[in-house]
Amino acid sequence: MRCRVKRKLIRAIDGAISRRIFLAGAGAVAAGTAIAGCGGNGSSMSTTPSNPSLTDGDYLNFALNLEYLEAEFYLRAATGNGLGSADSGNSTSKTTGGTQVPGLTMVQSEYVYEIAQNELDHVRFLRNALVTSAVAAPAIDLTNSFNALASAAGLGSTFNPFANFSNFLIGAFIFEDVGVTAYHGAAKLLISKTNLTAAAEILAVEAYHAASIRSQIVAAGTTLIATANAVETVRSTLGGGNETTLSATGIVAADTTNSIAFERTTDEVLHIVYGTGNGAGVKGGTFFPSGMNGNISVTTT
Amino acid sequence: MPTLETQQLDEVIASSRRRMLTIGGAALAGLALSSLAEAQSATLADADYLNFALNLEYLEANFYTLAAAGVTIDQMGIGLTGTGTQGTVTVKSGGPSACKVPFTNTLVQSYATEIAKEERNHVSFLRGALGSSAVAQPAIDLVNSFNGLATLLGLGLTSFDPFASDINFLLGSYIFEDVGVTAYTGAAPLLTSAANLDAAAGIQAVEAYHAGLVRTVIYGLDQSATTLGAAGTARAVATAISKLRATVDGSNSISSSRMQGDDIGLGTQTVEMNGVSGAIASTLVNATTTGSINAAGSTGTAGSMVSARSATEVLAIVYAGGSGKGGFFPAGLNGNVK
Repeated sequence: MRCRVKRKLIRAIDGAISRRIFLAGAGAVAAGTAIAGCGGNGSSMSTTPSNPSLTDGDYLNFALNLEYLEAEFYLRAATGNGLGSADSGNSTSKTTGGTQVPGLTMVQSEYVYEIAQNELDHVRFLRNALVTSAVAAPAIDLTNSFNALASAAGLGSTFNPFANFSNFLIGAFIFEDVGVTAYHGAAKLLISKTNLTAAAEILAVEAYHAASIRSQIVAAGTTLIATANAVETVRSTLGGGNETTLSATGIVAADTTNSIAFERTTDEVLHIVYGTGNGAGVKGGTFFPSGMNGNISVTTT
Repeated sequence: MPTLETQQLDEVIASSRRRMLTIGGAALAGLALSSLAEAQSATLADADYLNFALNLEYLEANFYTLAAAGVTIDQMGIGLTGTGTQGTVTVKSGGPSACKVPFTNTLVQSYATEIAKEERNHVSFLRGALGSSAVAQPAIDLVNSFNGLATLLGLGLTSFDPFASDINFLLGSYIFEDVGVTAYTGAAPLLTSAANLDAAAGIQAVEAYHAGLVRTVIYGLDQSATTLGAAGTARAVATAISKLRATVDGSNSISSSRMQGDDIGLGTQTVEMNGVSGAIASTLVNATTTGSINAAGSTGTAGSMVSARSATEVLAIVYAGGSGKGGFFPAGLNGNVK
């Protein structure tokens, strides 16, 4: 058997297995213990998840909420319509705001469509992987959220990212670097090798997006760069730092000493998308007015 | 009673202790299959994969540092010593300074400067993490390698100087960055230490930032009809590079003008969403979208995710199809993955 075919087969098997693990929940942990007892030395468990009661399924559902947000934003920007019922799990959409961005050049349209398709694919992948445990799309606000962020950033009382391509870039900028830090933070917490690989494969796509958006803002000039950095300051305050000021030599968001990309805890990500600073017990706000769905939805720090 | 399956499980236990206590039996069976398929992984340690990555970072760091500053990384104070055979960097006939790109686009020059710094940081980080087990910089060829690859592109080119101009530099970068992404993606699940995994995921993301940057800039410059003489547009050359990568690593089994195994070129694709059919999208991300194929509620489909390459596949690319050495590494890599 050719190596590649074999690998695909193994991936398919792993995928089926991991889906079963999600459903098995606590049962899977018990089985793992039993197996360890019969053959292994079980000498080291070098990672302790930040919350041992959380499963891969919880982290993937956390990611799914973020992908719903991104997909709704980009799909509406590209076509004027958001996720359908089969992709959101809701019979009627719970998203407010968002319209097709007018006046795009051919190339700008190509960029918007590509990201929209990517994020839609991510929603579909995660929903398929999670099967019946997949959370439905929570309420998403694409109007008041941006207005609130604009106020916090000192950019005025309103901001419509769907008004034109420049504003769209700022809207996209808000999401992509956060997506990178969220997937990076979650990668080491995933138990299943299949899930880890999938998370890494999505993480990279978010980083491609982030660089593309950041470089287009830089190419657009100093005014848009300043707008982006005003937003970045807010993101930094809410999300525990983890930001690189955007510039022609600051495209990559990474630690300056070792050039390793930033990562965020689920709490830091929640504080950004909920638009509320540090503290436990925050249940929702800004982009998710009723909070995310799933077991990771309330801040613990 | 020992059976083949329990023996396989024992192998997994030895190589995958990190996951041992927290995963289900079914997943262990999957791991056993994985370890059999990736024969190398059963005997290789995290350090072997990090050293594999270090070889690639030596290559990238030298390429960008020469392009941005006209010097090799040791001239920037980066250490080159370590285990294995230390080699030199083959540069243009005028020496390192002749490799400094005569940038006309100040943004591209800034990008080169940033990427060079970040790749040097990756070298330093990996050397620090590996300590005395870090491999030495192997022999690196940045002249004959590009000429050889140019010939293989099938575009009529017989030589290619990535240091000659903005666009040539970007195409040279294009050769490396997507490969770096897929290499780290492939290695991440093989690492047993959470700290190493965390670092690898963070470096992978930076390589993806670089790749996204390079692809976006080439795509944008192409709008103003930047061409490479008879070889065609920069996009066409980039797409030929993708196809070549997918050919030498053995994945080019999909006969589509754009989709080339685990590597897609730089151009346009048709997407369908929300009842909009036949919309034209770019391919700034090196990942295949599934469009209408990946319908809601279908199972087993995965679109818009980058590919993971095995070490073997990555080696095939950086050796330009050579066996054990060639291409960018005329004496092969240092370390246990080569």
